[in-house]
Amino acid sequence: MRRRSLRLRLLVTFGLGAFVLSSMFASLTYFGVQRLLIANQQQTDLRQSYVNAALVRSTLYTSPPQLANLLASIQKATASFVLVQTHHQWLARSNPAATKDVSAAIIKLVNEGHATEQTLNINGEIIFVVGVPIPAVETQVFEVFRLNSLEHTLQILLFVLGAGALITSFIGMSGGLWVTRRAVRPLEEVSRAAAQIADGALTTRLAVTRADREVQQLGESFNEMVSQLVQRLERDARFASDVSHELRSPLTTLATTASVLQQHRPDLSPAGQESLDLLLADLSIFQSLVEDLLEMARSDAGAAPLVMETVRAIELLRQSVRSAAGHQALSEPTLEIEPGVDDPFVKVDRRRFERVITNLIDNAHRYADGAVALRVSRVGEQLAINVDDAGPGITPDEREQVFERFFRGRAANDRGIARGTGLGLALVRDHVRAFGGTITVATSPEGGARFQIVLPIVEGDPE
Amino acid sequence: MARILIVEDDDHIRSALRLMFEGEGFVVDDAPTGEVGVALFARMASDIAIVDVMLPGMTGFQTCEALRQASDLPIVIVSARDDTADVVLGLESGADDYVTKPFVPEELLARVKAHLRRRPEKSANPFRLGDLHVVPDEGIVRHHDGTELHLTSTEFRLLTDLASANGKVLSREDLLERVWGYDYFGDSRLVDVHIRRLRMKIEPDSASPMFLVTVRGAGYKLVL
Repeated sequence: MRRRSLRLRLLVTFGLGAFVLSSMFASLTYFGVQRLLIANQQQTDLRQSYVNAALVRSTLYTSPPQLANLLASIQKATASFVLVQTHHQWLARSNPAATKDVSAAIIKLVNEGHATEQTLNINGEIIFVVGVPIPAVETQVFEVFRLNSLEHTLQILLFVLGAGALITSFIGMSGGLWVTRRAVRPLEEVSRAAAQIADGALTTRLAVTRADREVQQLGESFNEMVSQLVQRLERDARFASDVSHELRSPLTTLATTASVLQQHRPDLSPAGQESLDLLLADLSIFQSLVEDLLEMARSDAGAAPLVMETVRAIELLRQSVRSAAGHQALSEPTLEIEPGVDDPFVKVDRRRFERVITNLIDNAHRYADGAVALRVSRVGEQLAINVDDAGPGITPDEREQVFERFFRGRAANDRGIARGTGLGLALVRDHVRAFGGTITVATSPEGGARFQIVLPIVEGDPE
Repeated sequence: MARILIVEDDDHIRSALRLMFEGEGFVVDDAPTGEVGVALFARMASDIAIVDVMLPGMTGFQTCEALRQASDLPIVIVSARDDTADVVLGLESGADDYVTKPFVPEELLARVKAHLRRRPEKSANPFRLGDLHVVPDEGIVRHHDGTELHLTSTEFRLLTDLASANGKVLSREDLLERVWGYDYFGDSRLVDVHIRRLRMKIEPDSASPMFLVTVRGAGYKLVL
């Protein structure tokens, strides 16, 4: 299962958090302000309607015909509609259409002599109705206020608060992004550095100078760990290298003395001659072992730099095969080049490439009476070099293990195989990897083992 | 009978080498240090020298340089490591060839014999190379003004072999076989270093050679 990304989660959390908080704040503000504004307005309107009712009363006393004029002037001044009723008959109405806003309930209450107010919400429009009885003339005054101006103010407020909430969410998200960067980037750097180190870039370190304190500590411990690891690796490699170095002088003396004995072979008794043969045989194994160990220690410690050259693959291969076979006085396997492989270039260290071919041919000789053929083919932009033999082959479960150091397969144990160093194929794999290639084992067309080297083909820049 | 100088500080190896070469019919002079080796050579004029790189006092490289100044005899260095830098340094200091410890004695023997066997080709015709006049029969390279240009026997052999290829490209392996006389112990660095040294001597500008050119991925050729 793919884990969710921490980065995404932090970002979403921050964004959502900011959004929820700012929306809550905006709603609270909006409703609070709305209530306050309406209450204020109603207070004002209430006072206004008492004043207006007093005006209506005095007009009724003094000059009743002027009533309609008064109502019109009130409507003009306060944008409210005034309706006057007496004995259940409308005496005057500044706006007859407003009659529907005056409910029967309020009329009844006012008729009974109670001053009454009522707030209606009709289709989102807030209407405030005030009824004032004037018992002296058995008249009821109703005033209908529409809170339209308030509506407008509230709309502006809603817009401002909404915009504020959105902006706050964005700011929250950017804050989240920043925090995420700050928190996640060191993690990514550690992971990248670890991957590079695993790939062999042992000089990789984390930059700790500009980091936060916690991150700096992480970086320092990480770097410390890598340094310790590298030191340990170097110590191991140096030990292997030192041991091999120390073995070389006595080994050289031994080998040279043995060859002097070989010069005097005719003077030796049959037992002496047999001992000499054993001595020579084991000396040569010893020698190869030390050589392989040295080579391995050198590439482990990075002491021997790769000398990569762009070379014609086929020509180098032909020379390597000749040199490998000649070196060990073996018969040369044939080189079969598939049609379509037209003189490609590869980038390798010549000496190590020769070593690879020598070891593979030597291996085939040891376990399968020699390589049958070296078959070269092209696989896309890569060159496949197959070293095929007709031996017993390698079982699938041993195909990875054969490249391990000092691995001895069943084949080596079953048959009385001449001892190798146990490092040959491990070196082959190290070298091929250093060229940026791969090596695998499969079954050859002859039913034996096929060692397949795949190397990237490069542009041969003519000099 | 060939005379061989062995400069090696390890007593055991030195004694073993002495026994082996004497068994092969050489006259052996051996020296535990570079100083003794150079002094011995001054009196004995050996045909070939084997010099260990790791010597107390005068280093193997310095010993090589001193021997090279005195003579153009073939010198084989015995290197402790076959790091490219070490080998190249050894060859730059004047050695013709190298083996690395632990060496296979037969291989060292074969190399020494190969160096002694090769002689300048007597049949080659004199030729000109820009300002230079090469006379293979006499083993001499002269400047236009008559002064002699000194080449070691390996460098001279390299030059005449490339010339006899008539402008064809010779691979490093071809050159190893022709000049050093080995079939199998090839190391292309041997050729590269000697080519570089030869260029320093014969090219007007060794950084951009006109005569001795590299053919990428193939080898070298001499443009006459």
